[in-house]
Amino acid sequence: MSFPESTISDPIPTRRFSLNPFTFLGQISEGRYWAYYLIIPSLLLVALVILYPVISGIGLSFQEMRLTRPAKNGFIGLQHYQDLLTDQIFRTAVLNTLEWVVVGVVSQFLVGLITALALNKGGIVMKAAGVIVLLPWILPSVVAGNIWALMLDSRLGVINDLFVKIGLLDQYKAWFADPNTALPATMLISLWRGFPFFTLLLLAGLQAIDDDLYEASAVDGANRWSQFWHITLPLLRPVIVATVVLRVIGLVNSPDLLLLLTNGGPGYATQVLSLYAFQKAYSDFDFGYSGAISVVMFLILMVFTVIYVRVSRVAQE
Amino acid sequence: MSQRNANRFWSTLAYLVILGVVVFSVGPILWTIITSLKPEQDIVTSELQYLPRNITLDNYVAIWNRSGYPRLIGNSTIVTVITLVICMLVGTLAAYGFSRYQFRGRTQLLLVYLVIRMFPVVLMIVPLWIMMRGFGLLNTHFGLALAYTTFLLPICIWMMKGFFDAIPPELEDAARIDGCTRLSALFRVVMPLARGGLVATAVFIGIAAWNEYLFALMFTNSQNSQTWPVGLALMVGEFQLPWGALSAGGVISVIPVIILFGIVQQSLVRGLTAGAVKG
Amino acid sequence: MTTHRGMSRRNFLKASGLGAAGLTLANYLPALAQSDLQATINYWHHFTSETEFKGMERVMAMFAEKYPGISVVQENIPNADFMAKFTSGVLAGERADTTMISVSRLADMVAMDGLVPITEQVNNWDLKQYFPDNRWEGITVDGEIYGVPAFTFVDWAYYRTDWFEEAGLEPPTTLDEFLDAAIKLTDPAKGRYGFGMRAGGGGQDFIVYMIEAFGSPILNESGEPAIDRDIAIEAVKWYADLYTVHKVVPESAPNDSYRQIMEGFKTGQTAMVWHHTGSLTEIAAALEPGTQFMSTVRPTGPVNNLTRLSYLYNGLMKEDNAEAAWDWVSFWGELDPTIAFLEETGYFPASSQVAEDERITGNELYAAAVEALAIGGQPPNFVGYSGWSTNIVLPEFQKILVGEATVEEAVDNMIAGLADSME
Repeated sequence: MSFPESTISDPIPTRRFSLNPFTFLGQISEGRYWAYYLIIPSLLLVALVILYPVISGIGLSFQEMRLTRPAKNGFIGLQHYQDLLTDQIFRTAVLNTLEWVVVGVVSQFLVGLITALALNKGGIVMKAAGVIVLLPWILPSVVAGNIWALMLDSRLGVINDLFVKIGLLDQYKAWFADPNTALPATMLISLWRGFPFFTLLLLAGLQAIDDDLYEASAVDGANRWSQFWHITLPLLRPVIVATVVLRVIGLVNSPDLLLLLTNGGPGYATQVLSLYAFQKAYSDFDFGYSGAISVVMFLILMVFTVIYVRVSRVAQE
Repeated sequence: MSQRNANRFWSTLAYLVILGVVVFSVGPILWTIITSLKPEQDIVTSELQYLPRNITLDNYVAIWNRSGYPRLIGNSTIVTVITLVICMLVGTLAAYGFSRYQFRGRTQLLLVYLVIRMFPVVLMIVPLWIMMRGFGLLNTHFGLALAYTTFLLPICIWMMKGFFDAIPPELEDAARIDGCTRLSALFRVVMPLARGGLVATAVFIGIAAWNEYLFALMFTNSQNSQTWPVGLALMVGEFQLPWGALSAGGVISVIPVIILFGIVQQSLVRGLTAGAVKG
Repeated sequence: MTTHRGMSRRNFLKASGLGAAGLTLANYLPALAQSDLQATINYWHHFTSETEFKGMERVMAMFAEKYPGISVVQENIPNADFMAKFTSGVLAGERADTTMISVSRLADMVAMDGLVPITEQVNNWDLKQYFPDNRWEGITVDGEIYGVPAFTFVDWAYYRTDWFEEAGLEPPTTLDEFLDAAIKLTDPAKGRYGFGMRAGGGGQDFIVYMIEAFGSPILNESGEPAIDRDIAIEAVKWYADLYTVHKVVPESAPNDSYRQIMEGFKTGQTAMVWHHTGSLTEIAAALEPGTQFMSTVRPTGPVNNLTRLSYLYNGLMKEDNAEAAWDWVSFWGELDPTIAFLEETGYFPASSQVAEDERITGNELYAAAVEALAIGGQPPNFVGYSGWSTNIVLPEFQKILVGEATVEEAVDNMIAGLADSME
């Protein structure tokens, strides 16, 4: 263990607070409340910016709030939630959301992890590949969505053309017009856009793992597979837990790709909760109902996260 | 011998995987570039052209002239930088606090940050708008950046906590025995080790802020603070989808990020070499 | 320009002479010395294409010349997100001075109290007479006028003249002829289809118009839901059969929006598409007018036609700069700016004064629009229409196309959805 010389020669502890801000902060860090000082700025920011919107959003779900029929607006208790129980579109949206999220997060995580493991080999080729792999995610979503729409287009689509050329298809297919392929097609695009997130963060996690650990286990005769299970995965776990939770939340909350590609159709084949909430608010102007959908989404996510975080025990450590 | 064979196997496998992933990633990007070089009548055509028969830069000229690209990019850059500064500064500190210290309500508080991230954006727009108007932050770069922190700060905290957790606390203990304050232990021991994670998180947040659309649309207007994704979305007209120009816009918008990435990659490498001291 | 200024002075004299209610002399004085009126107003719009932008910029330049003291700040919002921004703006109390109003959104905008009535200003406007009454009816809610017409999208159809000639067909005028032509022109082996149906985004209006064309109203006189189930089933079935039974529509129809139907037409996949005058420039850039394509009036249904006239208006969202705002929105109805806009975009003028201009009447391509203008009705315009048609009618129709619902089930859901949204 080696440290810069200056660290050791720092004159501490000092009783009087220094005027040098860095030394001063150093002194603060030795105090009892250091942990709180670290956290308070973020807490203030969150309370200031987010608390009111969240509370007002939850409040909306207990109200009738139809902008275009203002006469009926007011508190209605759990009425919206009761209506949700019999709402067929809502039910479809819940199931689609589950599929969209589960398939989405599993596929993106696996591709992201495998890519990160491969990239972790290092070398100039891998370094270049590391940048290239991130490109899908840098492209603005309006371009990404539309380019995929163009590639999958039933008239102009290059993917259709390739598939026909190699004999996978007889003729161009309208992927988004068929309820059986519309959701898988959007999930493919979501995979394309989403896996670099895992790659980037898991790679950073992998690179922080000490090579000595592998060397030591290799001396003990462990093969790659058992190294992966006994060293890599356990040490990556905090990063994996965080990325998975964040990606799940991201997938549940972002209707942008679906909004652009299918708007929920054909029929309700690609209708998901975030999209439904968006439509209710901004094309039916029914903010109360939209609020109730949002709260349900929120609760589903919350239950999932609490269980997931507890099971993975990441917050306790 | 068998060890060497095994190594060769894994190495080949790694390159094959990367080859596949690179093709998958780059294919659509390549198609974006090709499309951006075609005139419109060669894109909307019954016979697909893999290689543009007539290469044109008109789409780039068009997008440069029409969309006020420099101003939009400028706005996006400012907003992204402010977002990054707020999130990384505030978030990293908090993440470190959560990672290293036990205090009452820690787990719950950590979950609260996540919970906030979960709240659907749809319902945040109006209250945020009201608040921002109250503080005079509408149409400002700072206001938009502040709105971005609503969903990016929790990400930053959780990600950075993950990276800090992976660093053994013994290293700081040792430094403190050597006479470091907690703060200098954080900056001299932990940060260099967490540098890879720091950069990865910053890249993630930067790109998320760079590409954000809905808030940017809602909280800015076209004259002062509109950002690049909004400018791009406006290209997609009601009665026109100019494929070529949209693709050119995509290509153009990736370039500054790649340049930034070149810079960041160097520091990523430096961060890793600095991390080598840990042994 | 001088004529305009003179006209306004006369306008002022007339207005003050009549002592128009609520308008005091002081209010009107700045209008007299126009260069003195200093104001900055913003304008929300959803112009996006290059041609639309050029048109708007010319109008803005002309306005700046006439009203040097008023600066207009244009704020551009993608059409798909326009109502999201409008709604949030109204809710958050952050309104623009002026806004573009497409007629299908009017009822919702007024119901959420997003617009300011300008009945008085319109009634005192000397150009009001040049706009036929139906232009004003379209923008009137409960007796109040909310906007000034700027331009019109006249519904029509495009067809491939070369294909029709080859098959010895005339452009269809009835639905029977339409179906006949569509069947004859469909040849899947060649990748050709008779009709480019828009059953993706934006396709909802066609379904509603079809129900009306078969003879069922959507609402009755007193504004209550009044869809006749049997007629609606007949209408929806006829329309869906084009895809499911006759197969004269490309397979991609359930996801085909504006872009796709236009690309299908331009790339020689479809023989006919329905749209309005707004797309003429784009089509004419890809196909040769006359020899390859031509515009025509849409076929007529058994009871009503399928032609609607969608006027685009400009109105006020708040009263803070009412005078300057009125100057701006009414400027869009004046002769010179309208012509300038027409020249750039090809969008049909709303004013009959301009519609009689030889630039319109002398243009063969516009003949169908002139004809359509005479017979076209107003699109449905009631509170909740756009939500119901977009989120219920369209997906239910798509379910029929992909075989997930019968026509009866879909129509029942449409009727139930209408009742729900009117509650």
